Amino acid sequence: MLETNLDSVAQQSAFRHINTGTKLILALGSLILCLISPFPVVPLISGIVLSLVLIIPGRTSPRLYGELLLGPAIFTVVSVVVLLFLLGGGDVIWRFNPVPWINLTITTGSLAQSTIVLFRVFGCSIAMFFIVLTTPVTDLFNGMKRVGIPIELIDLMMIIYRYIFIVYAQAFEIWQAQVMRLGYSRPMEAIRSFSMLCGMLFISSWNAGEDLIHAMDCRCYDGIFPSLDIAEPVQMRSLLPVVLYLGGLAGILLVMTTRSVI
Amino acid sequence: MNSKIILEAREVRYRYPGNLEAIKGISFHMRRGEKIALVGPNGAGKSTLLQMFNGMIRPTSGTMLFDNEPIRYDTSSLRQIRKRVGFVLQNPDRQIIAPTVYQDVAFGPANLGYDEQAIRQAVALALRQVGLTGFERRPPHQLSGGEKKRVAIAGVLAMDPDVLVFDEPTSGLDPSGSEDLMELLDELNHDGKTIVISTHDVELAYPWAERAILLADGQIIREDVPDVAFGNTKFVRMAHLSVPTLLELSAELGKRGFTIPERKPRSVLDMVHVIESHLHGSCCHPAPGTITVGNVDGGEASYLTAWVKARPGIVAGAMGSRAKQYAAQEQIALEFTYGVIDKCILRALRGQDSLILTNGSMVSRVAVRVEAYCKESGNSIGVTSLNTTDQASVTGIAHDETKKDDPSY
Repeated sequence: MLETNLDSVAQQSAFRHINTGTKLILALGSLILCLISPFPVVPLISGIVLSLVLIIPGRTSPRLYGELLLGPAIFTVVSVVVLLFLLGGGDVIWRFNPVPWINLTITTGSLAQSTIVLFRVFGCSIAMFFIVLTTPVTDLFNGMKRVGIPIELIDLMMIIYRYIFIVYAQAFEIWQAQVMRLGYSRPMEAIRSFSMLCGMLFISSWNAGEDLIHAMDCRCYDGIFPSLDIAEPVQMRSLLPVVLYLGGLAGILLVMTTRSVI
Repeated sequence: MNSKIILEAREVRYRYPGNLEAIKGISFHMRRGEKIALVGPNGAGKSTLLQMFNGMIRPTSGTMLFDNEPIRYDTSSLRQIRKRVGFVLQNPDRQIIAPTVYQDVAFGPANLGYDEQAIRQAVALALRQVGLTGFERRPPHQLSGGEKKRVAIAGVLAMDPDVLVFDEPTSGLDPSGSEDLMELLDELNHDGKTIVISTHDVELAYPWAERAILLADGQIIREDVPDVAFGNTKFVRMAHLSVPTLLELSAELGKRGFTIPERKPRSVLDMVHVIESHLHGSCCHPAPGTITVGNVDGGEASYLTAWVKARPGIVAGAMGSRAKQYAAQEQIALEFTYGVIDKCILRALRGQDSLILTNGSMVSRVAVRVEAYCKESGNSIGVTSLNTTDQASVTGIAHDETKKDDPSY
């Protein structure tokens, strides 16, 4: 299961025991710099550096990382190709006019804007993957509590997170049972099987919900959902490189902005 | 055993919406510190009855009593009863509600209003009891079935209940996991908890329980010590069960002229005793082996490891979660992890020495069990405590051993 693997990867990451705040500063800082940068070089540097950090000291499997990037990469490339023809401005670089009513044009303006979109998506996706692959969701809940997100919302998120895996496992079992009995061998059969899967999943989720209330009652539920207050301390040896890196990236952005103004 | 009645049912009945009567007038009681098995086929009403123990289900008629007081169903009384009667569901995935082990185990204490320090202590103790220290940050979906079951038990233990109720405790576990779990239940019982399990596995219930209650179609068919409860084929058939293999075998041996003691064999050790006594007059080697008991909680655990390493051929078994953890940590190969004392007695009867690793509270249990066996069988087996900090409990032939005599130290 992909979800299990992602969570497992985060649990086993070499950065697992680094303070969550430090990791969030690195990822969110990179993400903001990628977003505000009008030059592709900043997201490109950010993406490459964070990828290398994830793979080499972070011990993330390059294969798994490549597979993860493939999803957004395909989506981004398709979107950028559309943008190339959709946006305008500047000189025409390439024109495709097979029939009078179809006029596909790539201009210098559309190329520049598509390139910056491509690199921003690249840099931002990798910044988000950095969090996903180094910080288990349970640590994020803890962080959310510290920054003052309403406790009711966090409790709800924790229960949902716990039950995602249970519901997913149930769905997988039902799907396997259907596949074993050729439930998806024909298109109509597949539609019927899928609707049955949804129905069964609804019933079993309902039962799981009742059992959840039962289990909470058995343990005297009184509105309190304990949090995992085992936070890693902030360490200078991890915070300092993060600050230096973000400072360097911001410096590059500043230099490039200044040059372009001049 | 403290014989005070802790839970009692008086003519309880329960009818589900839809008019299905699941419990049809049941009366029984359980004493503090007892190990009771509710045995019956699927649909017998076991789970429904168990849920009455902590007030999850209110009987349609009749009375449930806890500590000789009728259970009240107002919110505050139910909190009290649920604190004192811990319930472990059949499916741990349905019981574990939090995204990490720590949070799940802390759920009960937090809702009982413990302060942060007390919660941490309760969680640490419960995880230690079930042998899951170090699992605090693990998410439940990354645990094995046996580990999930232990987390579910720890979640209940953290509330420090007097009674532990297990619905089909070994369901979904492999044989080794089942053995470990039954060993854990014995350990908890040894620590003073009253344990009730529901099962349809007669082979599990027969050697484990002190009392068996056969249930079928919402009614009690028979309630007695296991060899009597399971010994009557008529009742066993009425409950859609089968006679336990050991009991069936002893009945067959009895018909073939073997002398079967009044207390029917409940373990391989008992059965070997019956067979060997008949064939050879005695089942004991002329020079029986010694059982050495190592306390992993003692202050000299390093000595224990050195002692084992100095005897590469020694057969070792571990009783209790902490002892098993210690063995894994020190890379001590374990031959036995369940029914350890009986298996070591069998070794001793063949003239072989063995070692039992266990923790503080369980050390005395070895001597008591061996002494009881020796008294019953007339054999003599030496039990010696390895750590010099413990009082050596010696039964029969004594083989005193101290650090001074040990060349490995």
